[in-house]
Amino acid sequence: MANMNLVLVGVSHKTAPVEVRERLCFPEPKLREALQELKSRYDHEEGMILSTCNRVEVLVNTTNLDDGVRQVKDFLCNFHQLRYDFLKKFLYDFTQMEAIRHIFRVASSLDSMVLGEPQILGQVKNAFNCAQTAGTAGSVLSYVMSKAFFVAKRVRSETGIASSAVSISYTAVELAKKIFNELSGKTVLILGAGKMSELAARHLTSSGVSRVLVWNRTYQRALDLAAVFRGDAIRPEELFKHIEKADIIISSTGASSFILNKADGERLIHLRKNRPVFIIDIAVPRDIDPQINKVSNIFLYDIDDLRNVIDANLKQRQREAQFAEEIVRQEVESFLNSAKAMDVAPTIVSLRNHWESIRQQELAKSKNRLGPLTRDQEAAIDTLTQSLLNKILHGPISELKTLSRNPAAKEHIETIKRILGLKDR
Amino acid sequence: MSLILLRITIALYSIGLLHSFLTIITRKKTLFRVALFGICSGFLSHAWSILYTWRETHLPVSNLHEALSFFAFVIVLAFLLSYARYRLESLSVFIFPLVFILTLAANLISSPQQPLPEILKSIWFYIHIPSTFLGYGAFFVTFAASVMYLIQENELKRKRPQAFYYRLPSLEICDELGYRSLSIGFPLLTIGIVAGALWANKAWETYWGWDPKIIWTFITWLIYAVLIHYRLSAGLRGRRAAFMAIVGFFFVLFTFIGTRYLGTAHPYIQR
Repeated sequence: MANMNLVLVGVSHKTAPVEVRERLCFPEPKLREALQELKSRYDHEEGMILSTCNRVEVLVNTTNLDDGVRQVKDFLCNFHQLRYDFLKKFLYDFTQMEAIRHIFRVASSLDSMVLGEPQILGQVKNAFNCAQTAGTAGSVLSYVMSKAFFVAKRVRSETGIASSAVSISYTAVELAKKIFNELSGKTVLILGAGKMSELAARHLTSSGVSRVLVWNRTYQRALDLAAVFRGDAIRPEELFKHIEKADIIISSTGASSFILNKADGERLIHLRKNRPVFIIDIAVPRDIDPQINKVSNIFLYDIDDLRNVIDANLKQRQREAQFAEEIVRQEVESFLNSAKAMDVAPTIVSLRNHWESIRQQELAKSKNRLGPLTRDQEAAIDTLTQSLLNKILHGPISELKTLSRNPAAKEHIETIKRILGLKDR
Repeated sequence: MSLILLRITIALYSIGLLHSFLTIITRKKTLFRVALFGICSGFLSHAWSILYTWRETHLPVSNLHEALSFFAFVIVLAFLLSYARYRLESLSVFIFPLVFILTLAANLISSPQQPLPEILKSIWFYIHIPSTFLGYGAFFVTFAASVMYLIQENELKRKRPQAFYYRLPSLEICDELGYRSLSIGFPLLTIGIVAGALWANKAWETYWGWDPKIIWTFITWLIYAVLIHYRLSAGLRGRRAAFMAIVGFFFVLFTFIGTRYLGTAHPYIQR
């Protein structure tokens, strides 16, 4: 694209602490005003602002790259009334392909604090929509952003970067699914009506668990929590009468000793005819004897085990991120190639040269036939052919220039090149 | 003609083999679709090859060359059926290489150019052998599902998830697949054995010969019978059921290949 001069300036969780990020934040109501100021006060053709709790980034399509970087930094300082001396060590800036690469990585969640977290894509889309409504997003930004969304989608579908859980509750849900496959029709038993177990149970029910049982030392609290989930409360003395109904047990009582030991586990599995039980012990001190994990078909996870799984999941995401980086690399390259194809300047030059050489040839031929001419006559013929050529070429050249502003017109440009007999040099 | 078709089949199955290798290195869904397409078209040309021989001369299960090829065919069939039901891509990593190797082995062993023995020209031939083979194919799926179960259970018990945890299906699916394939394989093997006995009675005038292959088949049948019994009556499942299914399949392998060396009246294995 002949008129693509991208500049990106920003701060992120990697370069700036939260005290700095919060001072640079653009709250939603102020965003429109900021975008308009960005476009009107400076020399930018297009602009958008991404402002989340982990990053603030300003992307502009400007006329001059060096001035652009300075101007955007200026804008950030002015708008937030901060001194540049204070801000400069937190800021990073990218231009052109570097900026493209950065946008692709951000949209694909490769630059996120939690690798692969899904919110960032929505935030980027939102930032772009804001720029569109404010009228500061033109054809270049639209093209770049549509590519970025495409890359993010590719990364999501072709790598497992977001496929494993990184929170305690979701990890528990995921483990349950690795055991039971489907959670619908399953029953969860909450031992000890605490906040943590309520949260975990909420994730399980929203993932399909259909029945909730609650047991607590004080029956009233069990009744209260059961009411929240439209489940059933179990009387304090009747735990072992109902425990076999539970496929998943979440335990967080304040008990000082184990409430289930290995023998209980063996009896439980016998009563359940070997159907598996998943026990999540989030209490500290622990409620369940760790030996119970040795019983076949019982799977016990305490809080540290869940954290270990999260660590493994994060490592898994890092491995997947390598594939994602490769996708980004490919896409930046393909962007570069299509940008090259979009660049009409060489086409215009070769178009001029081509016709000029024809003109010269024809002039030389005619001179022989015309015989001796005066200087004025020669000049007149020269001017005549020159202006003829300019008139003829005016249409195609201005059309090419218009087309080059529209990223979708790549094929038209190719066609024009072919019709006029121009090869890429 | 059928040999050419079999070569085409191998070429198509090799796409599956390639997929298995690549799955270990990277993971891409598009690759699986290509491999699945290769396996499906391989399956069709395989079926064509078998039908062709059948129409020309006989059902091609009368010698080792034909038996290996037919066994590969049955395993692909079993895979495609379980894939249609459970969409298990991870199963393919086990099955595609095996299918390729079996078909390749079948191709390397030449088919003896001799007329079909008189004894095989019987209706029982068409019941005894195919149903036994189909049963073995189903048991192979049971075996693969059991191996996947044990690996996944180990991952869950160790609480330090590694690559298998992410790629293998849930315990429930492994167990169910193991049970389903078992309950299809067992009746088929039973039919195969009964048909064999009836055939033996007709050909040799005895239902039961003390032939190593017959004895080992019967032991295999007993193992699976016990497994089914405990699954139904005591709700045996999971780890122990998986162990038994794996042991059972080793007996299948021994019955199928090992008994060659013990001397048997089952002619194509003896060759």
